[in-house]
Amino acid sequence: MKKILIINLFFAAAILQIATPLSMIVRRETVLKSGVQFKFKAQPIDPFDAFRGRYVAIRIQGDEISAPQGEYFKYGQNIYAHIRVDETGFAGFSTGSAEKPQGIPYISAKVLYPPEDRQPESKLRLSLPIDRYYMEENIAPAAERVYREHLRTDKQDAYVLVRVKDGFAVIEGLFVGGVPIEEAARASRANAGSK
Amino acid sequence: MAKRAVKWLYQELPELVAKGILTADSAEKLRKYYGEIKETGKRWALLVIFGVIGAFLIGLGIILLLAHNWEQFSRFSRAIISLLPLLAAQGLAGWVIIKRPQSAAFKEGSAVFLSLMVGASIALISQTYNIPGDTEIFILTWMLLILPVVYLMQVSLPAAIYLIGITSWAGSYSRDPQRAILFWPLAVAALPHFVWALRQEAYKIRGTLLSLAIIICVNCGVSFSLGKAWPGSWVVIFPSLYTIFYAFSQKKFKGVTANWQRSWRALGGLGILALAFSFTYRYIWQGLMSPYYGYENKVSGLAALSDNILTLVIVAMALVLFYDFLRRKDLSNSLFCALPLLGILGYSLRGGNIVLTTLIFNGYLLALSLSRIMLGIRKNNLGEVNAGMLILGLLIILRFFDSNIGFIIKGLVFIIVGIGFLTANIMLARRGGGR
Repeated sequence: MKKILIINLFFAAAILQIATPLSMIVRRETVLKSGVQFKFKAQPIDPFDAFRGRYVAIRIQGDEISAPQGEYFKYGQNIYAHIRVDETGFAGFSTGSAEKPQGIPYISAKVLYPPEDRQPESKLRLSLPIDRYYMEENIAPAAERVYREHLRTDKQDAYVLVRVKDGFAVIEGLFVGGVPIEEAARASRANAGSK
Repeated sequence: MAKRAVKWLYQELPELVAKGILTADSAEKLRKYYGEIKETGKRWALLVIFGVIGAFLIGLGIILLLAHNWEQFSRFSRAIISLLPLLAAQGLAGWVIIKRPQSAAFKEGSAVFLSLMVGASIALISQTYNIPGDTEIFILTWMLLILPVVYLMQVSLPAAIYLIGITSWAGSYSRDPQRAILFWPLAVAALPHFVWALRQEAYKIRGTLLSLAIIICVNCGVSFSLGKAWPGSWVVIFPSLYTIFYAFSQKKFKGVTANWQRSWRALGGLGILALAFSFTYRYIWQGLMSPYYGYENKVSGLAALSDNILTLVIVAMALVLFYDFLRRKDLSNSLFCALPLLGILGYSLRGGNIVLTTLIFNGYLLALSLSRIMLGIRKNNLGEVNAGMLILGLLIILRFFDSNIGFIIKGLVFIIVGIGFLTANIMLARRGGGR
C-alpha cells in the first residue's frame, strides 16, 4: 500500500519536474509564433557564463528613457517600457509606466538605475529581458570580432529581432549587417582561415 | 561489539576449544550469541560510492555534450531534446523505486543523477531561448523540484545538494537580509530527512557527510540572514551556534569513537576556540563601536522581526544547553559552552573599556585550558591534557606577539611553555595510564 503511494507521489513529482521546463518552452514558442516583431539596435559583448555555455551579451541602444512625469521608481521595480518604432523601422522606448499601457506595444522590464533626485535631465535606465544571445562555443569569439568590426566602420547595423506578446519578449535572432550573426561569424572565420 | 572484535574472537575459538579453555558447547553458544558476521558494510559503501560517482560523471558528461548550441536542430526540437536526459533520469529513478527499493546504492546514485538532470534541463531551455540570467530563481526552482525526491527515495546526497543549493541562493541575497532569511523555512523543509538520516546511521559515512554539509551550510545561512537587526550581534550569535553544535554532539553522539566521525563536536569546539581567541583582540571590539558598523545591511522594524526571533531562539537554546551542563556539574563542558554568555557580556560592554573586555576573554581561555589540563590529569587522559596545554600555549604565544616584550623574554617564555608540555607528558606517561 505504502509502496503504491510512493510510486504515485514520485510520478506526481516527475510530472512537476517535466512541467517546469516544458512550460518555459510553451510560453516562448507561443510568443515566437504569435508575437509582434520588433528590431532593436544592439551592442553585443562577450562574457563567459560558465554554467550555461557561451553567449553574446547584448545591450540595447536607447535603454535609458526619460523618467515618466509624476511617477517615482526605485531600483529593481517592475516597469512597463513603451515601444515606439521610428521612421527607419527600428524600435526604441518612448517612456515607461508602472501600469500596463493600453493600445501600445510594451515590454515588461525592471528599473536598473532610477533617475537621480532633483535632476530634471536625469534618465532612468532599464534592465531589459533581452540581455544575452547564446552561440555555439567555437563561433562566439568570431561573432564578437565581427560585431566590433561593424562598430568600427561606424555602420552601427547590429540589431536584435524580438517577438513581443503581452509584454513578454523573446529573442528571435541577432543580426549584423543584415545577416544572422551565425552566418557572419562563420564567413569571417572562413576568411581568416583562407588567408 | 565491534565487527572486527567478533571476527577476531571467531578466529580464536577453535584454538581455545583445542586447548580446553572453552568447551565446544560454550564456543557454539558464543557463536550463537554474537551471530554471523555480516560482510555487507564495505560492499555497500563501495557500491554507493561507485554508483554516485558514475551518476555524477554521466550527468556532467551529458551537460557538457549538450551545453553547446547545436544549430543543426530547430529551436523547438533542441528544446525538446533538452528534456530527454531528465526523462531518462526519471525513468531510472522510477525503476529503482519499483525494483530496487532496498538498495541504498541504486537509490542514492539514481537520485543524484535525477537531481542534476532537473537543473540541466532548465539551464538548457534557458540557453535555447536566450532567457536572461536570473541565477537566484534558477537555483530556487531547481532545489524545490528535487526536494520531493529526497523524501520519496529517502536519499541523503540529494538532500546535501538541496542544502548547498538553498545556501548559495541565500548567499546571493546576503545584501538583502529580508530575502536571505527565507533560508530558514527552506532548510526546515529538509529537516525531517536530516533527523531521520542521523537517527539511522549517525556514525556511518552518510551521517558524517550529511553532518558536515549541515554544519557548513547552517553556518553560512546564519551569516547571510541573521544579526542584521543589531549590528555586531554576531559576537553572540556565532558562539551560540557553535555551542549548540558542540553540545548536540556531546548529548547525542556519545558512542562515536573516531575523530572524523565527530564533525559536530570537532567543528563546534574549533569554532568556539577560534571565536574566543579572536575576542581577545581589541580590534574586534573597536570595530563594533564604529557608528557605521553593519549599517549598509541593517534592517529594522517589522523586517527585523524574524531576524530577532531566530536570533533569540538560537541564543536561548545555547544558554539552556549551558545551564544543563552546569546543573549536571559537568565543569569542562559547561566552560566550553559559556562563550555565548561572555559574548553577551562583551556586546553589552562594547561602549566601555575595551581592555576589560579582552581581559575577560583571556581569562576565559586560561580557565578553559586549565580545566582541560586538570581534568586530563584526573582522568589520566593524555589527549585532554595536551588539548589544554595547546590552548594555554597558544594563548601565551599570541599575547606575547602583540605586546611589546623583548625577544629574550619572549624566547624564554616559549622555552618554558615547551618544557611544561614535555614534563606534563612525561609525568603522565610515567603514571602508566596515559592513553
